[in-house]
Amino acid sequence: MTTGERPDDPRDDPRWDLVRAAARTTVSTPPGLINRVLQSVQGLRGQLLSTPIDIPFEGGRLRVSERVVVLIARRLGAELAHELDGVHVSAVALDADGLQVLITVRYGVAADEAAALLRTRLREGLGDQLGTPAPPVHVHIVDVHPN
Amino acid sequence: MGDPAELVGKAVDGDPAAFDALVRTHTPQMYRVALRITGTAAEAEDVVQEAWLAAWRSLAGFRHESAVSTWLYRVVTNAALAQVRRRKPTVSLDAALSSGGRELLDTSVLADNRANPEGQVVRAEQVDAVLRAIAGLDVAQRVPLVLREFEGLGYEEIAEVLEVSVPALRSRLHRARVALLAKLRELR
Repeated sequence: MTTGERPDDPRDDPRWDLVRAAARTTVSTPPGLINRVLQSVQGLRGQLLSTPIDIPFEGGRLRVSERVVVLIARRLGAELAHELDGVHVSAVALDADGLQVLITVRYGVAADEAAALLRTRLREGLGDQLGTPAPPVHVHIVDVHPN
Repeated sequence: MGDPAELVGKAVDGDPAAFDALVRTHTPQMYRVALRITGTAAEAEDVVQEAWLAAWRSLAGFRHESAVSTWLYRVVTNAALAQVRRRKPTVSLDAALSSGGRELLDTSVLADNRANPEGQVVRAEQVDAVLRAIAGLDVAQRVPLVLREFEGLGYEEIAEVLEVSVPALRSRLHRARVALLAKLRELR
């Protein structure tokens, strides 16, 4: 097959059939991903906290909305998980019980220890950023993935 | 399911079910793109999460100047680029391929291996080697290549996603194809 676009078009090389074959392979959406996304979006909608979190700040008060709490927790959680190696934050949502952090762990990682460590560090990190009004943190292992 | 533009309109007006419908419809497409740009499932999932949160936050600014799918391709592509840039240095492509990628790309095998299970295994390995080769391309080449060769987008739409001119895109795509073919030749 000739593409006819350029005389030296790589797509005319027989090896390009491999690229076409790769393009035809299907990619399955991970089970539960859509629900995890919906949970995260729900967390951003901010329907749980009737008033923003008030943080004493340099002689005044800093007001942080629920949406910002979720975004801070998500970013901080992702950074902390990266440091732990083999742990990945899938979703963060806020509900009536506090922050729900869903994680996946690489096969071989001590999942319960990793989850506990992430929870501790995330609570500390949020405490540093938001003070005592920071909501409780719950970490859930939702999947194990290969290397 | 609903027309995507209509769903976006309803979502902007505050209908949460409309945005949820967009998530359900477009997440497979978003994940596919994210996976082919980042090369790992965990990163791809993270990218999809970040992309949807970004989409939700920028919803009010959506002006219907682009198709919804084009807007979402742009959002997920930007999230994937951000993810790749945050990465720590990783194993080079050469090192990755030395762990089993070589000698997989025999195109004479490709022609004959479709009928039997062994052939299908070889073919899966070949496809895997191609995906690893793509993952080894510079990200500026990888992104348009994924959108064109894997997602089948037209030049105009990719140019809109990447916010570049069509001639610039064609040039970048050609360089990407040349680079990929060179990597495929190295595998022989």
